[in-house]
Amino acid sequence: MPDHWGFVLAAYALAAVVLFGYWRRLARKEKELDRK
Amino acid sequence: MNSMPVAGHPRFEPGSRTPLQVIGWLAAAGLLAGLVMGFGVAPREATQGNVQRIMYLHVPSVWVAYVAFAVVFVASIVYLARRVEAADRLAHASAEVGVLFTGLTIATGSIWGKPTWGTWWTWDARLTSVAILFVMYIGYLLLRGMIEERERAARSAAVLGIIAALNIPLVHFSVVWWRTLHQPPSLMKPGGSAMPGIIVAALLVNFVAFSLLYVYFVAKRARLLRLEEEAAA
Repeated sequence: MPDHWGFVLAAYALAAVVLFGYWRRLARKEKELDRK
Repeated sequence: MNSMPVAGHPRFEPGSRTPLQVIGWLAAAGLLAGLVMGFGVAPREATQGNVQRIMYLHVPSVWVAYVAFAVVFVASIVYLARRVEAADRLAHASAEVGVLFTGLTIATGSIWGKPTWGTWWTWDARLTSVAILFVMYIGYLLLRGMIEERERAARSAAVLGIIAALNIPLVHFSVVWWRTLHQPPSLMKPGGSAMPGIIVAALLVNFVAFSLLYVYFVAKRARLLRLEEEAAA
């Protein structure tokens, strides 16, 4: 069976974007609350 | 004399920053180790080829989703029994992180499904039950947001958190109970795994990394919920 590296890359890139995005969202919120 | 850690000291309060940062760095190191194991150490799978490496992302994601919703279940019972606000915050944070990882499970499963099954999506037992689980916990979060009175929102969400958790065994055993396109469990199955040791090891490293990330996200989110409540009071 062919390796389909494009699909592997897409899955890992999506996970990186989602997890990093959520971490950034929490960090931003934390900064806002710490300022208050 | 060295100062000893004291309970109640800001550094050692649950969800306080220093232990959280340690867990965060451990999770980051774990994810890096998981990538090395998944791409550098684990061999190319004979039947599926390299596309099988999506498993090191997909399976730990669903594991975290199961854990997250089980935590919502227990924390909801604790809240209803004792009215402990920290339990409600834990349930809220865990549901949010669980939705994140369930979404990731569905998306990575879909990406894996296209080259192996020839379709992005099919209404088989596992996929359908996961989709229902996903929608139920989105509903849980919406319910929390819709009710303004804090105590009522927490109580209603706790009831839904308990009911929704009943779907978890249905999701896990759906591939055993029904003939379905999705393969049966490879790791958590009766009689032990038939996978080669090195693939199991790579998977376990990712399980640990994702679990640490779950703890980090939930602790951070629960802390933020507490700060939000304090700011609003």
